[in-house]
Amino acid sequence: MRVAYYKGCLAALSAKELDISTQALAPKVGLELDELDAVTCCGAGDIHEAEPDYYLHLNARILAYAEQTGSDTLMTVCNVCTLNLRQANMALQNDEELLARVNRNLEAVGAPPYSGAVEVKHLLWLIAEGDGYERLKDAAHKGLKGLKVAPFYGCQILRPSKMLGFEDPDKPHSLEAIIEACGGEAIDYPAKIKCCGFPIIQAREDTALAELIQPLEQASEAGADAIVTPCPLCHLSLDAWQSKLKAATGKDFQMPILHLSQLIGVAAGLEASELRFKRHVVSVAPVDEKLSV
Amino acid sequence: MDVALKIWRYDSRTGERKLEEFEVDAPEWACLLDVLDIIKDKHDGTLAYRKSCRMMICGSCGMRMDGRAVLACKERMQPIAEAGHVPVISAMGNLPIVKDLVVDMGPFWNKIRSVKPWLDPGYDEVTEKERIVSQQQMNAIQKESLCIMCGCCVSECNSMEADPAFLGPAALAKGFRFVGDPREGNQVERLVAYNDEHGIWDCTRCYFCNERCPKGVDPRDAIAKLGAESIEQGIDHDMGAKHAKWFVTSAKTTGWLRETELVPKTQGILSAVKQTGFALGLARKGKVPPPFPPHVADRVKEARALHDLVGQQGRGGADGIIQMERALARAEHGEAEGAHRVSPEVTPGVQPPVAEG
Amino acid sequence: MRAAIEAHDSGADVALLSKIHPVRSHSGAAEGGINAALGNASEDDPDKHTFDTVKGSDYLGDQDAIEILCYEAPEDVYQLENWGAVFSRTEDGRIAQRPFGAAGEPRTAYAADITGHVLVHVLYEQVMKRDIPAYEEFFAWKLVVDDDRCQGVIAWDLVNGGLKTIGAKTVVLATGGAGRLYVGTTNAYACTGDGMALALRAGVPLKDMEMMQFHPTTLSPTGILITEGCRGEGAYLLNSEGERFLKDYAPNAMELASRDVISRAEQTEIDEGRGIDGSVLLDLRHLGAERIIERLHGTRELSMTYALIDPIHEPIPVRPGAHYHMGGVDTDVWGQTELTGLYAVGECACVSTHGANRLGGNALMETITYGRRVGQHAADWALTHTTVAVPESQQTDAERELEALLDRSKGERPWAIRDELATTMHENFGVFRREDQMKKQGKIVEKLRERFENVVVEDKGTLFNNDVTQALELGFLLDLAECMIPAGIERKESRGAHARPHDYPDRDDENFLKHTLTRLVDGKVELDWKPVNITKYPPQERTY
Repeated sequence: MRVAYYKGCLAALSAKELDISTQALAPKVGLELDELDAVTCCGAGDIHEAEPDYYLHLNARILAYAEQTGSDTLMTVCNVCTLNLRQANMALQNDEELLARVNRNLEAVGAPPYSGAVEVKHLLWLIAEGDGYERLKDAAHKGLKGLKVAPFYGCQILRPSKMLGFEDPDKPHSLEAIIEACGGEAIDYPAKIKCCGFPIIQAREDTALAELIQPLEQASEAGADAIVTPCPLCHLSLDAWQSKLKAATGKDFQMPILHLSQLIGVAAGLEASELRFKRHVVSVAPVDEKLSV
Repeated sequence: MDVALKIWRYDSRTGERKLEEFEVDAPEWACLLDVLDIIKDKHDGTLAYRKSCRMMICGSCGMRMDGRAVLACKERMQPIAEAGHVPVISAMGNLPIVKDLVVDMGPFWNKIRSVKPWLDPGYDEVTEKERIVSQQQMNAIQKESLCIMCGCCVSECNSMEADPAFLGPAALAKGFRFVGDPREGNQVERLVAYNDEHGIWDCTRCYFCNERCPKGVDPRDAIAKLGAESIEQGIDHDMGAKHAKWFVTSAKTTGWLRETELVPKTQGILSAVKQTGFALGLARKGKVPPPFPPHVADRVKEARALHDLVGQQGRGGADGIIQMERALARAEHGEAEGAHRVSPEVTPGVQPPVAEG
Repeated sequence: MRAAIEAHDSGADVALLSKIHPVRSHSGAAEGGINAALGNASEDDPDKHTFDTVKGSDYLGDQDAIEILCYEAPEDVYQLENWGAVFSRTEDGRIAQRPFGAAGEPRTAYAADITGHVLVHVLYEQVMKRDIPAYEEFFAWKLVVDDDRCQGVIAWDLVNGGLKTIGAKTVVLATGGAGRLYVGTTNAYACTGDGMALALRAGVPLKDMEMMQFHPTTLSPTGILITEGCRGEGAYLLNSEGERFLKDYAPNAMELASRDVISRAEQTEIDEGRGIDGSVLLDLRHLGAERIIERLHGTRELSMTYALIDPIHEPIPVRPGAHYHMGGVDTDVWGQTELTGLYAVGECACVSTHGANRLGGNALMETITYGRRVGQHAADWALTHTTVAVPESQQTDAERELEALLDRSKGERPWAIRDELATTMHENFGVFRREDQMKKQGKIVEKLRERFENVVVEDKGTLFNNDVTQALELGFLLDLAECMIPAGIERKESRGAHARPHDYPDRDDENFLKHTLTRLVDGKVELDWKPVNITKYPPQERTY
């Protein structure tokens, strides 16, 4: 399946491991990625809040470039990008006047117009069911050897469900299904659908840390070997801010955090150079150890 | 039909808490509230919960079903009973529980009061007739006017759980009801007040409030509108505002987020320096992309030009979000969720006559 | 709340006392709109409004009271707008007005189809602004009457338990209606006629108690309200043959005839076999999705949630349901009752502005206009008269009475009595009434009263005990039924909502152009009559 690929800001830079592992994994699950170059940041919740009209245009432009590739699917690897693009898409697909205005502006700056023909889907959705899921099962031949993996969904792949709608926002199953297909054991815990605090981790650190500790503590107590998340922003807070949690609470979780593509990549036999675990702040070595035994 | 429920009983005076199961016979059209009534009438009169209108307008019956805040009068029990599921009913979260399913709404109302929830036209004189405003102007606050003060949004608010002093989605949505009202005279003062430490920028964007609101208020969007209006009015001293503005700056200069500069831009140089240790830890792993050479997107001049062009078109501030609401409402109505019964068939006759008079 | 605001602004120390939080008031469920001759949609004036209301009342309304309402209404609506009420607007930015039942001109100002909700919230905002104290979740159970004056209220504190007495120089009852007397009702659980029963028990007469309005478009079986605003926007009422049957009952006004006319028409269609499962159909499809979503969004939500029908695609099954009580505490045009210091306003009062049938949109108007008047008068009176001391014995007596109720462990739970009352009232005292059925109902209520003497309250505690308050509410309902039935039997005519097609099918102005008065004398209900104030419009034949 050919898809337009929008990696977003983090996968392009600080979470490069996400992009590298995604690109390495894609052919194994039957995905041909058409990388979009002439695109910008999707704006995250920040531009949506600071300059929402600009947010709409930035995302319309991304959708327009995606449409230009000829694919009808734009694949994302970040929750926030997914919600932002889907929200903009819904607005444009359901309001002719709005679409006309946005297109006039796009054309005025030399960008292609958008006709509304693209669907935005996270990698998670493409492989959690149907043909994608079958291919996943085939690809995950190395398996996870019963590794205990705690799924952490991240808010914006679930809510608001009227814009995302892939699964029940309170009882999601996609990550569990993938973990199991890869031969791992999915760990259940209440905070798996709660917020990691990333959007306010700089502006309101205390509040964010009080949120962040919940999935880490609960997954730890439930015996998880690692946490997997489909969002690089959640990944950043769960991984890179564990040290701040330790400083604030004295609790040292040492919990490896995996990107979705990395988790599957391990099960599919990707090389270390494709997984790039060395880029993680919290060492993933314990997972390696468990799997090599 | 047979319906079974588990209810968390609680007495705030004794601290006693226990989970009780009930099984009753209820009519097919019963909602959760009807089942509670049957339990209270016929099984246990001490069960405490609030109710009044039973038609989703008074806001009395907010409670949790399987941990999710709902209006008891809105939840139909038939699909649940048919699936054989036994839901767990408990009181709403983030508010002290008085008894069983009754919470103390005092803290909720205190936060509402703290946003000065009354129109302040900025002048004392009452106009002779109505103030002239267009329907389009009033539509700006159409969603926020739907709020019935039920507390469902507050129940699962992740920020409020982590920071109990957070103003919260209901109070902030009420705040936008005034900031967005064309007749309001004190927008700026309000925005300054809502930019407080526990205000707009304390929202973690978990979207639980949007998900839970039974009336479609979408409080998170109201908060975003407040943020947009604040920044438009130049009220941007909060770190949250600075953080958000840096994303705009990044997009219109390099197209991609200028991550590394984000910290000092948000928190200030001093604070950034204090976190050098933390930053170095990240840098060692390559998580601090060097700001030079800048990572520039292809054809970034389009993004730059877009910013200038769009900025002149008068849809600044909250309008940028409001402009999408009509489309999003249309997208929703296509699904007609919850309606699946076909109305009794009426023998198709001649086209009914046009109304007279 | 409107009265409290006015009393506060008049300088009085006023408090709200309510068994549910003020914002939960059932006025918030009103949907269609509030009437005033603003003249924004057409040439209109208060005189036309007055005539429509008088005719709508089937000439039982007191015309001086009606004139006051219609003439003062416009200013009150502008006041609400000034306070921030979110009204829907016309093309030129004025308050929009839509056509409503039995109105000669479109004068129902509205806020989409959530007008009541918008007004309740704007009033509460003004209450918060003035910091008016509120005894929230206090259940008023008895009036303190001493020295021929009403001196306060004895209430059960729901959150903390126990009876509390709140002394006051004036007490304004604004407790709404008693739709819970009927099994199919638009009313909330809270609408149990508390204020009317309190006044009755204090010796004050109730007026026109037999006049209960049945709203034509309510959902089955609950009675949830589907606004008249739908018909204002152009919706049709169809029977099982797809016909707009109102052509046979109200050929001119059709779906916008008076509510009692339409309810009777529907009931007749249903009784004669042209209904579907006991309902007729309200068809909105031709209005189009855009209009329904913009103006009738609330209706659509209700229809989808409770009838599982999307009105964009299917017609909604509707039937008559008990909706509004025209009768109530007998007051003058300032809300004063016979008992010094006691006032009543709104649905629980009967001035009478609605006579035998109320126009849609006039109820909200009455709560605002008369709310203001009564608040002002009650404040002025209180400020010019001496303080009172509440005799302690009143509270201790009440406590003893309550203890006796709580102590009882053998008996019946209230629900069976309550359900039987509601079902039988619906059957025997509904849209159509007959002498033999009404008499039968009288006996049924007698038996239910006997059973009620042995009712058992299961929750004996003090922490949020609404088991006891629900039992007390049932007592109120029985009191009111005991007034409604004799009044209904003695009114030997058909007028407005009181329809007796089998025994007295016509209106009898010669003998019955008067109000019924029911009063408790030595524990028994006594019936009396009171003349109607006719100023401008002598009774005419009433057709639509």
